[in-house]
Amino acid sequence: MTDTGRIRVLVVDDHALVRSGIRTELGDAVDVVGEADEVEAAVELILERTPDVVLLDVHMPGGGGRAVLEQVLGVRPGIAFLALSMSDAAEDVIEVVRAGARGYVTKHISGPDLVDAIRRVAEGDAVFSPRLAGFVLDAFSDLVDGPAATPSFDPEFDQLTPRERQVLRLIARGYSYKDIAADLGISTKTVERHVSAVLRKLQLTNRYQLTNWATERRML
Amino acid sequence: MCAGLAARLAVGTSAIRVAATISIFFGGLGILAYVAMWVFVPRADEEESIASRVAADRRELQIVLALSSALFAVLLVTRALGVSDLGVPTLALLVGAVGVLVVWRGASTAETARLRERLNTAPGVSGTSAGWRHLAVRTGAGVVLIVVGVTELGRAGSFSGAALGVLVGTALFIGGFLVLFAPWWVRTLRDLSTERRERVRAQERADMAAHVHDSVLQTLSLIQKASDDPREVVRLARREERELRLWLFDPERLGRHGRPAETVADAVAGIEREVEDSYDVVVECIVVGDCPVDDGIAALVGACREATVNAAKWSGCAEVAVFVEVERTTVSAFVRDTGVGFDPAHVSGDRQGIACSVVERMERVGGRVAVHSAPGEGTEVELVVARAPSVR
Repeated sequence: MTDTGRIRVLVVDDHALVRSGIRTELGDAVDVVGEADEVEAAVELILERTPDVVLLDVHMPGGGGRAVLEQVLGVRPGIAFLALSMSDAAEDVIEVVRAGARGYVTKHISGPDLVDAIRRVAEGDAVFSPRLAGFVLDAFSDLVDGPAATPSFDPEFDQLTPRERQVLRLIARGYSYKDIAADLGISTKTVERHVSAVLRKLQLTNRYQLTNWATERRML
Repeated sequence: MCAGLAARLAVGTSAIRVAATISIFFGGLGILAYVAMWVFVPRADEEESIASRVAADRRELQIVLALSSALFAVLLVTRALGVSDLGVPTLALLVGAVGVLVVWRGASTAETARLRERLNTAPGVSGTSAGWRHLAVRTGAGVVLIVVGVTELGRAGSFSGAALGVLVGTALFIGGFLVLFAPWWVRTLRDLSTERRERVRAQERADMAAHVHDSVLQTLSLIQKASDDPREVVRLARREERELRLWLFDPERLGRHGRPAETVADAVAGIEREVEDSYDVVVECIVVGDCPVDDGIAALVGACREATVNAAKWSGCAEVAVFVEVERTTVSAFVRDTGVGFDPAHVSGDRQGIACSVVERMERVGGRVAVHSAPGEGTEVELVVARAPSVR
């Protein structure tokens, strides 16, 4: 963070229009310390300026957001990434989250919501858009898996607890964390813990169909 | 082909067929004419003839020219070797072969597929289950046939008038060639058609890009005209976005566009489309799981649509969230807005009517409706219906 306590953010997107749009949306709420428009420059700049949060476009020439994640997190695992995407395609979203992004939001997100999401990610929490929550529910659904579980079935990472499912459903229904906390009678902090747990499962699960699921989803 | 000619000349199809068959015996001229027409006359359902397609493509033209010259060289060599008079039939056959090649390279995909189907069903040219032993046997048989054929031809040459010898020799010669090379020919032809298919795919992609660009440009110009009406701008942009997404990420659904929805995800996408087009709200639809639409689900989707329209009309909120989940035994839908809300105990007028029809729809199929709302707190409508056992 800067002296003023503002979160230091670096914006990575190959479209100049999007970058300036994001800058405008963010206003003075955060400190934008740099911009990059392609993978190599982004990695270099992130390692040089060590921002608190990187806003990362999923689709970029030269390997996309995933390449940036892999190259940076190997050296500096402490930097938080929030994936921003236009595509909404399940395979893209799942890919960046599995590569280490702490959250995923669409570029439609409003300025205040984006600032909120950045703050959450900077504090180490996960940020799920309704769409990502829907994807995760779908990927971890019993309908997809069926009774015959895969050989590498690991209950710790391969299944969601009923509570986590509840939280994800409410996110998918458009509830804010505060609304969810009120609805379930738990604290906002607990909601955040559940979402972070889901994120970890999403990144660690061997659930074989997760990648398959994401690609096959388009064929359905 | 004969039918086409018949239609043009206004003569009976069978008459033309008989004429064509007879003409084959006049020095193979019939075959020539047939192939020529195949090349130069477009198919009934296509605009270009094969010849024009080939002529339009430099590479095709080169291949055809190269093969023609090779054939010509063969002719010269045989002549030089003293087999002086090959006769009109052989010439016609050779020219016919070039013609067939042109047909193959220039034929449309549909036609290629049909030709290939026929070739595959011909006995002895499958070429797939080759194997080395198979190959050895075939090569042996082919070489023997060719050698015997050539000898027979040579003998026939010296004892003039031995027409039978010439005939048998030619047959053996051709048979030998067929045995030797047929599988290879078929494979080559298959490769060629694969290449053609790929070109068609590239064409499809180009078409799509063209369509997308066209549609985006149009919307952009509409947006410029409507720049003093922010609501219209949002509506236009949103519609374009929806269409673009469909093109890019879900082209199969695009194909089903306009037909009644077959699955829950399809039906919900329809709600998003309709409501966004009619009201200036953004409908964020999230569907988990999918299944075919049965009566109960159709009712749920209908009720869901009404609830969404209701939220679009009354909530004063710019965004409506629709969440539909297909589970093992039930399908549930949630329609939520963060707008003005209302007191469910005191509803009046129009709203009542819509609320009633939502409730009635769901009750008819044994479903359940719950409305959660309070003034200033937004509204959420919850719909649940059981899945029919047969489609589980």
